[in-house]
Amino acid sequence: MSSNDRMTEGYDVTVAIVGNPNVGKSTLFNVLTGELAHVSNWPGTTVARKEGVREWMGVRIRFVDLPGIYGLSASTLEEVITREYVVNERPDLIVALVDATIPERSLYLPIQLLELTPNVVIVFTKVDEMSRLGIHIHFDKLEAMLGVPVIPTSAIKGVGIRDLLNTIVELTRSKRKFKELVINYGGLEPFINEISKIVVSSKVLKPYPTRWVAIRLLEGDKRLEELLMSSNELDILNSVLEVRESVRRSIGRDPSELAMGVRYEFVSSIAKEVVVRVERKGGSEELIAEVFQKPVLGVLASSLLLLTSFMLIFTVNTGFPLNMIFRFLGLEGLAEFLETYSLSGVLGHAFNVASDYVRGLLHYNPVLASLISDGVLVGVGAVLSFLPLILMVFFLLALLEDSGLAPRMAVSFHNLLSRFGFSGSSIYPMLIGVGCNVPAVMGSRILLDDVERRQVIFSVPFIPCQARFIVTSALVVSYFKSPTLQAVALLSIYLVGVLTFLLSGLLVRRVVYKVRESPELILELPLIHTPKLKVVWWITWDYTKHFLRKAGLIILTLSVVIWFITNLGPNGYVGDITESFGAMIGRFLAPILTPFDIPSGTDWVLALALFQGFVAKESVLDTLAILYGTADIGDAINSLGLTIPQAYALILFITLYVPCLATVAVVYQESRSLKMTVLQVIYMVGLAYITALTTYYILKII
Amino acid sequence: MLKPLTELPKGSKVKVVDIVAGKGLRDRLLQMGLTPGTIVEVVENSSGPIILSVRGVTIALGRGMASKVLVEELQT
Repeated sequence: MSSNDRMTEGYDVTVAIVGNPNVGKSTLFNVLTGELAHVSNWPGTTVARKEGVREWMGVRIRFVDLPGIYGLSASTLEEVITREYVVNERPDLIVALVDATIPERSLYLPIQLLELTPNVVIVFTKVDEMSRLGIHIHFDKLEAMLGVPVIPTSAIKGVGIRDLLNTIVELTRSKRKFKELVINYGGLEPFINEISKIVVSSKVLKPYPTRWVAIRLLEGDKRLEELLMSSNELDILNSVLEVRESVRRSIGRDPSELAMGVRYEFVSSIAKEVVVRVERKGGSEELIAEVFQKPVLGVLASSLLLLTSFMLIFTVNTGFPLNMIFRFLGLEGLAEFLETYSLSGVLGHAFNVASDYVRGLLHYNPVLASLISDGVLVGVGAVLSFLPLILMVFFLLALLEDSGLAPRMAVSFHNLLSRFGFSGSSIYPMLIGVGCNVPAVMGSRILLDDVERRQVIFSVPFIPCQARFIVTSALVVSYFKSPTLQAVALLSIYLVGVLTFLLSGLLVRRVVYKVRESPELILELPLIHTPKLKVVWWITWDYTKHFLRKAGLIILTLSVVIWFITNLGPNGYVGDITESFGAMIGRFLAPILTPFDIPSGTDWVLALALFQGFVAKESVLDTLAILYGTADIGDAINSLGLTIPQAYALILFITLYVPCLATVAVVYQESRSLKMTVLQVIYMVGLAYITALTTYYILKII
Repeated sequence: MLKPLTELPKGSKVKVVDIVAGKGLRDRLLQMGLTPGTIVEVVENSSGPIILSVRGVTIALGRGMASKVLVEELQT
């Protein structure tokens, strides 16, 4: 890129940040760029790309956050992205991160980068945690050994950030160049030289440093081999493969194993010189880690932690399930207090007041008043009443993530989940799904196994989200009078949802992709530490933003669309909903409900409500309220006059059929397959219908 | 004597000798530091994933994968 382009894009230098997962890359990036990041995707992928500009001493530095990786062998998409970026985009500088709490392992990636390019600054993260762990590192000595700057930092404590920025500016101004790192690969050297001679004649490999390419090809590099193949340089590829084969014959081991062994040996020899570890007695952090790593105890602890956290969140938001417990104990007053002063209760009341106010204000134009109060305000209200719920669920997840408990939970649940063809890591998208299915589908990205990723995208929408919880709990409360029955009914919703998720995932793996084995688990378990509020907030807000952007916008837009459907008819604006387009849609769909013995008059109302629930689940309740001309959701539900079997069948149907249009959109975005998206919608609606119908007939007989 | 990692009790210290898996899986384990010759400590080994300490890092490995890592027990 010419300097002219750079001026117009508003930066002088580009600095790429590279590091292992868990190294503290996002924290450092946020501190460096002041959270003013521009988020996009790497071309042709769903891997997030973040960049931000920071001005320091008159130099505008563009930081590009590269995906978290363990090495440069291009065995994962993230590794390919990082490598291609470093080779093709040629950032002015690479900040290579080393976790100061595990230097022996995390120095490997910077060493590999130094073999590729000398423009590297090595940055140690989390240096504030070193003393607790009895680690001491001679940073100066490391700098002398490697010949590149080494900077100790702690992003969260603000340590070393100025040093890093100063170093970047100084290196930019002085245009100082470092020497490439050359590791002696011993017995592999003759073979590396041989391949070096072969690849010199390659056109497609020109941009890569020769020695680096030779080593990579010797180790076996799918990406480079594909490059050679696609650009018709097959002679070169064949000669390379011959050399590799001769290594296997003469040494008897795979070259990649030997090369990585030598590289790690090199890292160890450096670590021995610069890292001093003093044995420290384990504190409470180690004790917690141990509990979660025990087989039975770990599962129990994980389950208990999740259960209490979710109960707390639900209670604050809707009063459930604590209100049921109070009612069960005969404390009616306390239960009602919880319901009235729960967040959703308070917000619902506030929006009713706002609607009335707007209606009064615009009394001279009833159509506009209705559009704003029943369309726009209902939409804003729906988004806002979800926001606290979603925020709290994500806050909980962020706490688990930052404390280091999340991967340990994945380990705890691995055995159970692998029976259903998932790995323990799938617990993460499942938990997010309890909050909102939109980020849950996106959460599939963390999974390594390609088929498992598709399993999650396909079946995670069965996990009952907060919207479905609100609708189904309103139905449960109206139709089941005893608190015990209410609790059982609500619990059964989650049971049905989770089971359907598990079985559908298994179906996708075994039947659709015909994979017999369950996905493997390889997880690094970071140290347990007290979560840092700032980091937790960043993670929470990151998830919530996704919800607001995707789901929020769709909910808002569709609330207005729904207003038009229910207020306009063939004859223009109709005050009476029974003459609207919506009523026509409802009447058209009503026969589907005939097998449930729903009386005519009610059938089209319910059909229309369910149709709108396809768009966004919570509008099932709003629609019923509008259709029955009441502001009270409970009254509206009672007006349906359902029998218990009908009510429970309806609850099941609402639990299982497509959560909302936003989820469908995200499923398409993540799977990049229209076929899969359409199949999923058909599968969900079909399964929901069959399950509801079967349950209805069984309950009717009883 | 060579043994798969899954057969070693909690607390044992072992040396990695070989990984008999497809290239993708093997490269991943190698990159995480399980190169032949590395000393590894078994932190937990019961019914669930095996938990190891490798180069100062705690790593969890599914049992299927762990059975593909061949190790040599060190005298304690």
